[in-house]
Amino acid sequence: MATQANTAAPTTSRGVRIPNSLLGYLLIAPPFLIMVVLIFFPAMQSVIRTLFYTPDGTLINFNLNRYIDFFQDPIAVSNLLFTFRVTLISIAVLFLLCFPLALYLRFSSSRIAAWLQTVILVPLFVPGIVLAYAMIRFLSGHGTVDTFLHTIGVTARYRSWYLKPEGIMLSLIWENIPFTIMILTAGLRQVSNELIDSARDVGANNWQIFWRIILPLIQRPALIILSLNFLGIFGSYTVPYLLGPAAPQMMGVYMQQTFTEYQDRAGAETQAVITFFSCAIVGALYVRAVTRQRVEQR
Amino acid sequence: MLGSRSPRRLLLHTALLLALVLSLASNITKSDAQDKIFLNVYDNGDTNITDWWAKTIIPAFEKANPKYKINYFIARSGNGIQNIIDRALAALQTGADPQVDMFSGVPGDYPDALKAGLFLEVNEKNVPLLKTVLPGAQLSPFGLPYRGSQVLLAYDSTRIKDSDVPRTFPDLIKWIKANPGEFVYCRPDKGGSGRLFVARAIYEVTGKDPSKFTADKVDQELVKQYPKAWDLLRDIHTSIYDNGSYPAGNTPTLQLLANGSVSMITAWSDQSLQALRNGQLPKTIKLAQLTDLPFPGGYAYQIIPKNAKNQEGALALANFLLTPEVQASAVTVIGGFPAVAWDVLPKEMQTEFNSVIAKSIPVWPEGQYQPAATKGWYENVATNIKQDS
Repeated sequence: MATQANTAAPTTSRGVRIPNSLLGYLLIAPPFLIMVVLIFFPAMQSVIRTLFYTPDGTLINFNLNRYIDFFQDPIAVSNLLFTFRVTLISIAVLFLLCFPLALYLRFSSSRIAAWLQTVILVPLFVPGIVLAYAMIRFLSGHGTVDTFLHTIGVTARYRSWYLKPEGIMLSLIWENIPFTIMILTAGLRQVSNELIDSARDVGANNWQIFWRIILPLIQRPALIILSLNFLGIFGSYTVPYLLGPAAPQMMGVYMQQTFTEYQDRAGAETQAVITFFSCAIVGALYVRAVTRQRVEQR
Repeated sequence: MLGSRSPRRLLLHTALLLALVLSLASNITKSDAQDKIFLNVYDNGDTNITDWWAKTIIPAFEKANPKYKINYFIARSGNGIQNIIDRALAALQTGADPQVDMFSGVPGDYPDALKAGLFLEVNEKNVPLLKTVLPGAQLSPFGLPYRGSQVLLAYDSTRIKDSDVPRTFPDLIKWIKANPGEFVYCRPDKGGSGRLFVARAIYEVTGKDPSKFTADKVDQELVKQYPKAWDLLRDIHTSIYDNGSYPAGNTPTLQLLANGSVSMITAWSDQSLQALRNGQLPKTIKLAQLTDLPFPGGYAYQIIPKNAKNQEGALALANFLLTPEVQASAVTVIGGFPAVAWDVLPKEMQTEFNSVIAKSIPVWPEGQYQPAATKGWYENVATNIKQDS
């Protein structure tokens, strides 16, 4: 694919010749500049401020005071750990839920599979705020779940997930199903039928095909979706704003609260840098997975 | 056809047509303006407020004062009112007509305009009906309070007898502990109904004197007493709905009452009256106000710029807003609360709202009192860490 793109450059045109490389750089310049000006530059500014300035804005020597403050505040630490917990559990459940479904959608040609493929996309078109209020209705006391349990004869006192961590996880999982399925089925489609047929010809059973062929080939899409889900869930805001407990809170809500409600800009900045680095590590994994794929395809 | 004409000719024709239309239009307004005095009123209220103005207040005012006609502008988007104030400030400096006679807003939100002396002082001399306004409602001499809203107890009358509803704050605390899981208020930063419940707890531990908390400066001595309020609220933490679960907003709190998860909450008066009217809350939900010191509330204000061209008309409108007629419609049309004492309103209305009528409603200043209150609440009341109380 990469070689094709190179041959399509304007080498045959008779006018002014623009070198391929320059044209490429020109084309990526606007988005790159936007990234630098709106993302990298302010992010670096924030990092520098947290390391070299006091909360009231005076320049001092390099120090980690703000980070020490953060990690000595039991509430801040519990919010960070809570965010990791919610994120890791959610992406694990998402994967366990979506991988078998993606396998089914890839290898089944039944009408149910086609129908399911469409239905699964529905959450993609539901805005976060609508989802959050729907979940409140669904999970709340005398809501859908409660009523259903009552109808089938479960009369034990209903323990609502609405203001519990499970409420956040359930909503985020529901929200991220379509995207996860899309990436995983796309990944599975790269496993060609010929490959599987030939494996079967030499006597491999289903389990061996899964273990020796599909699983190694799906590693990269799996890594991609795990990291994308991590980034999306770690930084989620609307759902943990409306569902889940008042304490602990996820970092997105905690940052906003520190910034606007406590009017503590320096504190919010430190939280943001910590969140940013937590995500950057996973972001690096994602970038590695994607670039390795490009290199290999060449 | 158009293509065959020369562009210059087309332009000329368009300009002529435009000039004709404009001259006609200005003639119309001129002839209308000859016998009417126009008042320009700007409002940034929500649709329910602007509808109330357009359909109730303005027709009534124009009928009672035939020489005036109101140009009503909705300046809801962006910083609509700020733009109007900027324009009026510029006009004040040049002596021009600011083209605004009244607008909605809290004077304290516009320190620059206050400093420049843009706002007209309203008092009993130029707005006689101000004497009927509830004490404490007029926070600044430059703002005319004309509708209110307050936080109340909303309860399920099928589960709590009216006579058992607590009417003092200590009784409420006792009731909450005696009925674990039945009461809930929302997080103080996510909705006013929770914020003002917390504010009421702060009043309780600082001597029940709201006048100590003023908007202009923060008394650190009072902030130092917050921990007493945290002890009080931490004490009821496990008796709150679902072992201390606080919803994130006014509406989610109302939903918990509506679906029967709890039997008592704190709620905004206007929001609950509206929910009762449109059926979101069942008719069995009733409202009550504390009698020792009510839950705080807030008022909406109108401001008149000093350089208003029709100051006399603006003052007449200001006075009209405080008439029993308009004040009663605040209750019936928008589910608001009057800014005036209830006893000037119709008798049957006083009977209907008997359980929520208060002589004065404290106004919690928020401002610099709020960040410490919100932070203190999260760190000491709702926290999952401190388990020692």
